[in-house]
Amino acid sequence: MKKRVAIIAANGGLFDAYKVFNIATAAAATEAEVAIFFTFEGLNLIHKEAYQQLPLPEGKEQIQQGFAQANVPSIPELVGMAQEMGVKFIACQMTMDVMGLTKEHFVDGIDVGGAVTFLDFAKDADITLTF
Amino acid sequence: MKADLLVDAKGLACPLPIVRTKKGMDTLQSGQVLEIHVTDKGAKNDLSAWAKSAGHEMIDMVEEGDVLKFWIRKA
Repeated sequence: MKKRVAIIAANGGLFDAYKVFNIATAAAATEAEVAIFFTFEGLNLIHKEAYQQLPLPEGKEQIQQGFAQANVPSIPELVGMAQEMGVKFIACQMTMDVMGLTKEHFVDGIDVGGAVTFLDFAKDADITLTF
Repeated sequence: MKADLLVDAKGLACPLPIVRTKKGMDTLQSGQVLEIHVTDKGAKNDLSAWAKSAGHEMIDMVEEGDVLKFWIRKA
């Protein structure tokens, strides 16, 4: 049986995005079944506009250059790669309602669900991570 | 060593070498050999762990200057 990896993305900075999508794509490349639950600021990571320019932590703006030099893929590239490899994205319905967001604000191919949708996937997970 | 497919992942950062390796491996048949070239130093441990976790056989690894070369036989 496939390994299952359940990830909660609850923060919306550039560093958070790399942590989430690097682990998710690496897991998917290792034949794992992966789902990410995006909640609160984590929704930025799949928001059509926001995810193209996620903020760096205050005082760390110079690291932007380091990303370019290390030839690290952009977040939209990683998101596309993750989806192509079958990583499931679940956006938190409650947070979307609170923030006045609809499915159209996000990248294509996401699911919208509540906590139980994620918990149902996570209950049989081999690895559960929160970022 | 003769490989059935070469994946050139030089200059790419984590997690791309693993992603490219997986995609290359998906096109091969069991018993065929994939050769991978990388410059990401983290890939040294990552590719070994990846092969182990997927059940593939890491046949060889050599360092040529900045380039790491791997040969993995598909399970």
